[in-house]
Amino acid sequence: MAFSSNNIRSDFPILKVTTDDHPIVYLDNAATTQKPLAVLQSIQDYYLYSNANVHRGAHFLSDRATSAFENARDTVANFLNAGQNSHVIWTKGTTESINLVAYGLEHLIETDDEILITSLEHHANLVPWQQLAFRTGARLRVLPLTSTGEWEPEYASYFTDKTKIFASTHISNAIGVATPLADMLNEAKKVGAYTLIDGAQAVAHYEVDVETLDCDFYVFSGHKMYGPTGIGVLYGKSAALEILLPYQTGGEMVRHVAYQATEFNVLPYRLEAGTPHIEGAIGLAAACDYLTKQDRPELLKWEQNLAKTVYDELYLDPRIEIYSPSSNTTLVSLSVPDVHTLDLNSYLDSKGIGVRAGSHCAHPLMEQLGVGSTLRASFACYNTKEEAERFCEVLLEAIDLLAD
Amino acid sequence: MTHLLDSQTIQSRLQACTSKEATFKELVALSNQLERLTDEDKSEEHKVKGCESAVWLIEEHIDGMCHFKADSDAKLMRGVLVAVLSLVQGKSKADIQAMDLVQELTQFNLGSYLTSSRTNGVLGILKKLSS
Ligand SMILES: Cc1ncc(COP(=O)(O)O)c(C=O)c1O
Repeated sequence: MAFSSNNIRSDFPILKVTTDDHPIVYLDNAATTQKPLAVLQSIQDYYLYSNANVHRGAHFLSDRATSAFENARDTVANFLNAGQNSHVIWTKGTTESINLVAYGLEHLIETDDEILITSLEHHANLVPWQQLAFRTGARLRVLPLTSTGEWEPEYASYFTDKTKIFASTHISNAIGVATPLADMLNEAKKVGAYTLIDGAQAVAHYEVDVETLDCDFYVFSGHKMYGPTGIGVLYGKSAALEILLPYQTGGEMVRHVAYQATEFNVLPYRLEAGTPHIEGAIGLAAACDYLTKQDRPELLKWEQNLAKTVYDELYLDPRIEIYSPSSNTTLVSLSVPDVHTLDLNSYLDSKGIGVRAGSHCAHPLMEQLGVGSTLRASFACYNTKEEAERFCEVLLEAIDLLAD
Repeated sequence: MTHLLDSQTIQSRLQACTSKEATFKELVALSNQLERLTDEDKSEEHKVKGCESAVWLIEEHIDGMCHFKADSDAKLMRGVLVAVLSLVQGKSKADIQAMDLVQELTQFNLGSYLTSSRTNGVLGILKKLSS
């Protein structure tokens, strides 16, 4: 059955909020999504019926909390087709996952090694690698992907026997384009680089299969896929996770501690120091279940149609520049050269439409595009065609009001 | 010299706005009052730090009184600048320093237009005015 947001909007009570009598139109989903009742309920249930610390065993509630927490790990492992649940490490989000890998691999990086990223990265998948390069004397290199995200044969030369790490986003948060993952990972494998994919913008939309992707690490945040904030995932292959040195140490991640030495615990615990974000993991698992219940290919088509509606409505307008692809994207990033994006943002906000104006944590990409900031409308499962049309209508009104 | 509406008039116009949209339109109207700076005047030296949009502020002294010129690449910010400058234009530095500019600004009913990320920028402008 074709997906329609009409069947699921009531799962998201926040969509009934109004401002100045306008129903809110939430089109800032690439920043964070709203949460369905099932996720909220799972968190409340945990605190109502199962709250205790995990892995400390020894009593009823702790056993319950521990099994809910470990079931959540299973759910996420299945969601990613990750095989064993020990491949799933809980973190506080994409940013922490990347930092964990960047610090964990530091012992393998030597002067003159190369760390390769792409030109479409969020700062979260750029700064940790740049800083790692600074600490080790390695060189940060940038694969110059264009805004169409196509693979060019000459890119192969960026992968050399010095390339120790290759990190790329799956989908660009700033312009919505997908990167040529298969080609890039193929080249990275040939030179034996560790590979990390930033899936922050992918997991809510695409069915991610880490086994097929065959990357060493895949990272994402719960809050961008209908789950709670403060929880995220580092997926890794066993060998890749084993090689990471823990960048945080303390309780939970140890097996035996003496003043002279500490024996670390096995994976996944070895990389999870301290009491984990238990209700976050449970909420994220509920979000996975929520998504899995949908017809995902149809859901993706629905979201892509919304972006396409906006694209088709605006691309012929000579006042508007669009940076996103014409299709196969779930967001539209644009600018109006004569009008400040913050002003457009304010007018849309005055009509209850929430979008994002700015550089989207991607300064180097903005420079590549030759624009200071863009206005981004990003769609999720609950958005409607009427909302996409309303965005266009109000944007055009704003341009009329603001153009000199 | 930039001629600006007096702060009383601006305040009553903004106070009459009962929605974000009305405030938006009033700020757009106010923005047209601002005399734009030349590209030369929009130098790094005159730039106010911490604003989301670019803001430039130039201070001149005539007969011991302060006269400000300002500009921004964002229209609503130009409207806000008209409001802010109406508080201080033609006053002595001592008078400006004695004013509680943050408090005065709340009289403009700018509500959400001054919240969050924009506030820092406006606070930066106020700081620069009284420094
Ligand atoms: C592509 C991409 N990577 C990384 C991040 C950082 O995610 P978080 O702030 O949840 O750690 C984001 C969030 O905006 C993103 O869109």
